[in-house]
Amino acid sequence: MQDLHRTVVDERYGIDGKAPAEAFAAESPEQVSELLRTATAEGRAVSPIGGRTMLGLGMPPERYDVALDLGGMADLVDYEPEDFTVTAQAGMPLARLQQALAQHGQFVPLDAPEFERATLGGIVAVGRGGLRRAELGSPRDWLIGLRVARADGTQIRGGGRVVKNVSGYDLPKLYCGSLGTLGAIVEVSFKLRPLPSADRVVALAADSFEAALAAAAAVSRSVDGLNGIVAVSAEAAAFASQRGADGLASAALVLRASGLEASVDETVARAVSASGLAAAPIDAASAVETWQAIADTELSTAEGDCRLRLGVRPASLAEAGTALATSLPRARPLLAAADSGLLLLDLPEGDAADTASEIVDLRDAVAHLGAHVTVETASPALKAEIDIWGDPGPGIRLMRNVKEAFDPNRTLNPGRYVGGI
Amino acid sequence: MSAPSPIVRDLIDAIGEEAVVWQPEDLLVYEYDATIDRGNPDAIALPANTADVAALLKIANKYGVPVTPRGAGTGLSGGALAARGGVVIGMNRMRRILDLDPANRTALVQPGVVNLDLGAEANRHGLAYAPDPSSQRACTIGGNVAENAGGPHTLAWGTTTNHVLALELVTPDGKVQWIGDPRGGVGRDQPGYDLVGCVVGSEGTVGIVTQVLVRLVPMPTAVRTMLAIYDSVRQASSAVSAVVASGVVPAALEMIDKMTIAAVEPVLGTGFPLDAEAVLLVEVEGPPSQVESEGRAVESILRRFEPREVRSATDPEEREALWAGRKGAIGALGQIMPNYYLLDGVVPRTKLPDVLDTVYDVAERYGLPVANMFHAGDGNLHPCLLFDEREPGATERVLDAGGEIMRACVDAGGAITGEHGVGLEKRDYLPWIFTEDDIESMQALRGAFGPTENFNPCKIFPAGHGCGEAASGHAQQTIARFGDKAYV
Repeated sequence: MQDLHRTVVDERYGIDGKAPAEAFAAESPEQVSELLRTATAEGRAVSPIGGRTMLGLGMPPERYDVALDLGGMADLVDYEPEDFTVTAQAGMPLARLQQALAQHGQFVPLDAPEFERATLGGIVAVGRGGLRRAELGSPRDWLIGLRVARADGTQIRGGGRVVKNVSGYDLPKLYCGSLGTLGAIVEVSFKLRPLPSADRVVALAADSFEAALAAAAAVSRSVDGLNGIVAVSAEAAAFASQRGADGLASAALVLRASGLEASVDETVARAVSASGLAAAPIDAASAVETWQAIADTELSTAEGDCRLRLGVRPASLAEAGTALATSLPRARPLLAAADSGLLLLDLPEGDAADTASEIVDLRDAVAHLGAHVTVETASPALKAEIDIWGDPGPGIRLMRNVKEAFDPNRTLNPGRYVGGI
Repeated sequence: MSAPSPIVRDLIDAIGEEAVVWQPEDLLVYEYDATIDRGNPDAIALPANTADVAALLKIANKYGVPVTPRGAGTGLSGGALAARGGVVIGMNRMRRILDLDPANRTALVQPGVVNLDLGAEANRHGLAYAPDPSSQRACTIGGNVAENAGGPHTLAWGTTTNHVLALELVTPDGKVQWIGDPRGGVGRDQPGYDLVGCVVGSEGTVGIVTQVLVRLVPMPTAVRTMLAIYDSVRQASSAVSAVVASGVVPAALEMIDKMTIAAVEPVLGTGFPLDAEAVLLVEVEGPPSQVESEGRAVESILRRFEPREVRSATDPEEREALWAGRKGAIGALGQIMPNYYLLDGVVPRTKLPDVLDTVYDVAERYGLPVANMFHAGDGNLHPCLLFDEREPGATERVLDAGGEIMRACVDAGGAITGEHGVGLEKRDYLPWIFTEDDIESMQALRGAFGPTENFNPCKIFPAGHGCGEAASGHAQQTIARFGDKAYV
């Protein structure tokens, strides 16, 4: 590991209050391999680290010896605009990629909070779609290829650089949402879309989050063609405004539509009327900035709160909201995406055991709807009392087999993912 | 009448006499799929439900015989063939749409549901099932899941993998489990590895899918289809590039070449001039105002490249007529030669014109007529090499030419299959695009689902003895000429 740049171990690399013994900043895929090969041989545990925006997601690591910082590997590897594909190193922040693509009128249809820091590899490893996921899907839907250093240091590739490909198993899917437990992603390829000629974000003030959510649900039921239908609370609106969102003075329904100008305007007009809200719609001066500021709310948890994320089939979202208000009145709903059934809420952490049992009660209260509740950020004390992931379903048997096949020594992020993987 | 073997007796005991086919003359129909290869199964079992599938796998394991799952047998890579004999598990009896949830835009279906039937049922609720492989009148959702099937409309909507949310899987050891959440939605909120994404496109090598939760999309309220006829493939290709660069994402962007025109015109009366070199089809869909403005934009682009003619339609029947030449192309090839070998290369879109030149060169060198039809928008080409298998050596020549064309795709930075799968046919070409470590990782993933020895053997991965049939045997010769590694 002498070629690797050893870096300072400081609070940047802390995970759930644990600090690693060593930290390394990798500058090439070969260095990543070398580090993993050595660590696995020596039985040391490694956490791959990107932009550190989601480092708090997961159970506390069982062991944490080495922080492997991939943020230094941030080059554009290959970009042929006419092919509508791009390949970049995993440490590149999403915002930087979008900038390069925008020069050619293209973008990768991913939303991520804090996208100036969030890296491509981290976004893939977390694997989640953003607030527009009903329309745009998630990283799994745009990732066409990747290069990974497995726990034993072996470099492998999956997929390719073509937009349609069924040659061999779809290894890129395996790494989407694997949370750094099956390898360190060093390079990713995405398929791209043309930037829309018109892109509108419109806010309609509502009396409360509940009113905004009801309006969002009404729009989602009756209007097609939007790519974002989000209800925000006054608290989330204030946070987003601070970060540069336009037109958010209170709880609101926020709509986004993209495409050709005439159809965007028509879609927005229909949505505004379907919302039943009386407030005048306010157009954001910059659709992209306002949307990003709202997306950043995903990481806005204040000191002393824990953040919960509830996912459910979209038609059950309102019912989940009601169940939440009844079973956990202390919780403050922040934001909901009506078209994809997503609800974010904050809960002041009290006594850890009590808070944990409240969360378990909430899970029980929404279980009949098929909802999943994950604890996104929480103190180590709370994490000691609850499985932040909840039930991964019967597929866990096969997931454990996969982990065993790819990382038998449990070098990578041990204990952090579902079912103790 | 011969007497049933012990394993056949066990299969009959498990799922009933009428659900097991074992007399040699009845097995013949299961020797083929839509490829050149064939396999000889010893028995066909037709389960009615998930428990039957699990029971069948346990019996096959007890006797240590190979198992091969099969859908409608429309596959184009030999995936449904019993390469080493044994039991074929045909999923056609499990053909019910179990639930269609318009509010959440999902449907829960059994694997034997025909693609077009699901589409029709979704349409009744103002929804659509987006993946539309050309064989959609016959092919089943289970087969679509196995192959990660595409179709003309994948340009805008993605392939099967983008539309499967969860599935019930019987692993090779006979265990049944859901992966993904049967009550999940478009948000895919259940935490854990994306095993659904691993199963889709695994070509039936990690288990048998017995239920599928799919995502439905809104039916477009307006559709416009445009057809342009060009004097050169290059002109048509330039028009494709210009459309794609314009910012419009067409629902479909398809091309057929001169030989295909010659095949379809006399049969389907498409009105294509026989001396034209290329016909381009572009479809835009969505709300009427969008279709109106996108349609206008696309049409003016098509006209910039000096077409002989541009036709346009929004009426369903007229649109169908414009599509006839593309959708009926494969069937019409019988006009020219009795057999065809359909390839499925995929290249970065900008490389399409160069690779097409190579396709014509190779075909000429081998003295084979070639008809090209392809998904021009996503760089997926389908050269059809035409031949007569009764002519001595013809099949071998076709397979050799096919290998060269696949190699050209790989050399252009592409892959060996865009939507038909590797199957039995192309498994020896896999090392052209993946290293031993890559392939070993895929096999490790396979192993996580259960024992692999006898479950759908000889598919995807270059291997072993006892699998050799026409196509794969010939792959070896092509590999001998090019070497077994390319841009790995």
